[in-house]
Amino acid sequence: MTSSQATRPNDDLSGGTVRRKSSTMSKGAALGLGVLLLIVGIGAGYAITKYAMPNSTGGAKTTTISETGSSLIYPYLQVLSPAFTAVYPNIALSPASTGSGTGISSAEAGTVDMGGTDAYLIPSTATSHNLVNFPIAISSQLVVYNLPGISSHLNLNGSVLAMIYQGAITHWNDPLIQAANPGVTLPSNAIVPIHRADGSGDTFMFSSLCFLSWKGWGQNYGTTITWPVGPSATGNSGMVTLLGNTQYGVAYIGISYLTQINATAGLAYAALGDQNANVNGVVGSGGAGQQNYILPSAYTVSQDANLGLQNLQPPSVAISLILGGVPGATNLVLGAGGTLASSAYPSPYPDTNLEYLLISSSPASQSHMKDVVTFLEWALAYGGAYASKVSFLPLTAAVIGYDTQALEAVPISN
Amino acid sequence: MIPLVVLGAVIAVLVIASGLKDFGWTFWGFQYRFVPGEPEASSWGIGVFLVGTFLTAGLSLVLATLLSLALAISSVVYLPPLPGRLLSMVTNLLAGIPSVIYGIWGFVVLAPYFGMALEPSLKDVLGWLPGFGGPDSAIGPWGTLLAVFILTIMIIPLTTALMRESLRSVPRELVEAGLALGATRWEVVRRVRMRVARNGLWSAVLLGFGRALGESVAVAMVIGGTSIALPPSLYASSTTVASFIFSQLDSALLYPDLFILLVEFSLVLLGIAVVVNLVAQRFTRVELATATTLGGGG
Repeated sequence: MTSSQATRPNDDLSGGTVRRKSSTMSKGAALGLGVLLLIVGIGAGYAITKYAMPNSTGGAKTTTISETGSSLIYPYLQVLSPAFTAVYPNIALSPASTGSGTGISSAEAGTVDMGGTDAYLIPSTATSHNLVNFPIAISSQLVVYNLPGISSHLNLNGSVLAMIYQGAITHWNDPLIQAANPGVTLPSNAIVPIHRADGSGDTFMFSSLCFLSWKGWGQNYGTTITWPVGPSATGNSGMVTLLGNTQYGVAYIGISYLTQINATAGLAYAALGDQNANVNGVVGSGGAGQQNYILPSAYTVSQDANLGLQNLQPPSVAISLILGGVPGATNLVLGAGGTLASSAYPSPYPDTNLEYLLISSSPASQSHMKDVVTFLEWALAYGGAYASKVSFLPLTAAVIGYDTQALEAVPISN
Repeated sequence: MIPLVVLGAVIAVLVIASGLKDFGWTFWGFQYRFVPGEPEASSWGIGVFLVGTFLTAGLSLVLATLLSLALAISSVVYLPPLPGRLLSMVTNLLAGIPSVIYGIWGFVVLAPYFGMALEPSLKDVLGWLPGFGGPDSAIGPWGTLLAVFILTIMIIPLTTALMRESLRSVPRELVEAGLALGATRWEVVRRVRMRVARNGLWSAVLLGFGRALGESVAVAMVIGGTSIALPPSLYASSTTVASFIFSQLDSALLYPDLFILLVEFSLVLLGIAVVVNLVAQRFTRVELATATTLGGGG
């Protein structure tokens, strides 16, 4: 393109000699560029072979463990990778940020060693693909709002949020919101409920909360749903930006973005109600028992993770931790088939989630699987120390116990 | 021959992947609602997405055509050789910028400006024009107008280069004849160059349109993504077929119905792109190769 343009006369009078000269010049330049690229390519290839794969030319062979999936898990694995390789120089971790859907489908297809996902794989599907749900960390979600004049933590519950996002509650001074916030002067402005435009584990968590908290919720739950009202934004940082620009808006945002939320003027996050605070929910129907509004903290979020496990007998990690594990929400614990024990844990933060790696329970190569298991065992023992770097919480003892059992069942050999 | 084989293979893969599942006549309607795991409660209309696609591509094309024509005419006719060549170089350089960079620029830098400054003033001044009025609530950082703006910048290099080539390829004898008859330079441009080159100009417009229709990444980042209704104004968030496919693909791997829907959406998009390109080729002998070299990925 450039060469043909350079040869064209500008308007009318330009000489043929100039044309020929510039054409020769660009041919020479192209040839030079080609040779240069070739040299750079060979050099880069040599450098990669020599330096990036330290053990490829001698000594023990290096194995690479592959992971793809959730963009939330990706930074965590990136933090773990150098620490792990420092201890096990012959095993390299290769994570990829693609999305939970890709993580699940790649694990099902067996094209990766581990598939990362924010949403658990339904046990019956996991079994049919010989996959195990392996929780690797605990995350949670904030409900954030932009209310001029209110910088304190409002009390909101799942029922109220479901109604807001379905358009059944339209104003901030609605009696249901006021009832949860006695003494607070709520504005009479219309609520702007903001949701994610792209598919997301955060949408999975939040739509699960709506689904479980209000029987009138008509959109089911999933990583992508069609929201009946409100504007949309792409990505968690898009949510923060849009909410920062939208007075009287409300949004659900992963807790990893807390720093960005705090740095944005006008934003504050809510204390969320437990199941007793719900009105006509699949879980909790109001009136019965003490209503608690809980702020997210390391303690309350961890309690929710423990509660989720405790609530299922036999224990299963294939569970929504929304509202502390979900008594009665059979479609959220499909295939677990357990009964529910009473809760021994007070004050769980209801909008909590496990992050999973899906691993094979009948690996093609048991010796390769040994390296995968080595990594997972290391992550269980030492990974928790790195969790806070990406705003995750370390796994609780109950989850680690479950994971350890799960690993014992995976066949490996030397 | 090879392009035909590739096109055939792509269509075959899409047809097999979707099984040409029949979503019913509502597929062509304006109701889109996806309820996970409840196909009977879902509706699968492509209408909103098609409107968004043609709206953004069409408007950006109008803007890009005017600007490109001005750029092409100035560099071919009015500017001395060196500035003319520099102008071409800079325009061509724009084509080399990856679309995701346009997307980030729009997402981070332009969006606040559009939402807080440009769009409220546009509404004040042009509110009487259809599309430029509408409710205040539709004004936000991301929306149709921002997508139009980004798309315009993205297709200008392609349309400008093609228009420049067409205007240049007008035989010099005709131009000189015009000048000799006493016509001004502008009259020669309008009556001779543009008339002789009109097929090439049309082809440039259509190829630009094809590029705008298919852009996914940059549009997905700036358009907002609302898929439940037609946008109440140009400021409002909307969506296009391509950007919707891009933003939903990962989730669709979890929901078979949604995946099939996206594949059928891409079949429709492919069909539109093929038609637009065929029409463009009818207008001229401008090699598609030129267009694709310039158009880049995205």
